[in-house]
Amino acid sequence: MHKRNRLFVSIALVYGLLGGLIAIVRLIDPGLIPGNVPRAHGHIMLLGFILMMIYGIALHVLPRFGGFPLYSEPMADWQLYCANAGLPLMIAGWLGWRDMLVMAGGVLTYGAIVLFGLNMILTVRAKGRGRTIPVQ
Amino acid sequence: MKIELIVSGACPFCLEAEKVWREATSDRGFEFSVVDITQPEGAALAQRLKLQAVPALLIDGILRAVGVQSPEEALTLLQPARQEAHDRMQRMGFTFSPDNRWFILAAQVYLMLAGLGLLMNGSFLSDDAARPAFLHLFTLGFMLFMIYGLASHMLPRFTGNPIREGAWPWLQMGLAHCGVIGYAVGYLAGWHTLIVVGAVLTWLSLAIFAFRAWPVLWGKGG
Repeated sequence: MHKRNRLFVSIALVYGLLGGLIAIVRLIDPGLIPGNVPRAHGHIMLLGFILMMIYGIALHVLPRFGGFPLYSEPMADWQLYCANAGLPLMIAGWLGWRDMLVMAGGVLTYGAIVLFGLNMILTVRAKGRGRTIPVQ
Repeated sequence: MKIELIVSGACPFCLEAEKVWREATSDRGFEFSVVDITQPEGAALAQRLKLQAVPALLIDGILRAVGVQSPEEALTLLQPARQEAHDRMQRMGFTFSPDNRWFILAAQVYLMLAGLGLLMNGSFLSDDAARPAFLHLFTLGFMLFMIYGLASHMLPRFTGNPIREGAWPWLQMGLAHCGVIGYAVGYLAGWHTLIVVGAVLTWLSLAIFAFRAWPVLWGKGG
């Protein structure tokens, strides 16, 4: 498994734990963490945990199931950078009530989504026989 | 599988060796890196291995070859590593283990429970105080359990590293069930303490999952 994909899954686990932790803190003492905590929690879990888990696993399996190598490794690398630059900015924006940070983070996160989407479309092609790629 | 090629800027054959090994390790799940002998990391490696010449090839930290190999020779050198990885996968089997089977089955039950919100509220998410109950039956009950079951099954096969088994998956499952049910019932009944306990138990199940998955991702197989 490519190191970048392992990083995606590992970071997803970290975000999952972080997102859960701030939700628990919020449940115990709603005033302890400032800012829009429910929104930060929701996005950490969806964009940080679920989506990054999907990124890591899909970047590994879809080329193999599709029968073609990943269209672009650099695109996937930049996807990792954008996703992990974007989400912390969004979280900082919500917790610090800074809309500009949320917007900048949102643009970067969307950039990662587009990079992933295009890379997958160009990898899992509708036509062609493909070829066998080792599972590991 | 970690493949390291030790090179030097002054070596006229190293570029050719790098080209051969980049090609041989592409698309094979190998982690290939080039180490310059003039850098501290390369110098330390050369000293440890008592290297007399470059380019030199290391597979999982063990010196396997010196000089420039042909593409065929490179593939032959990688064959035992590939075979070992293949054998490890075969030993794991392809069908779900009982714990992962139960994770997947439970996820479907939680999905149906979450869907009850459609019948009770006319929409998936209600506007009242019980909104988080159905939302988290879906996200924690369905999505998280699916991730537990599928990731625990697939990741060891992708990396060639085993996942921690024994009592761990069952403890993770027990905590997750108690957590999700406690959380949902807490919201539906309006019991704040039960909500907190449910959230903590679910978080602990995720922590155990991370503990089980980490060596799978960063163990020797890679």
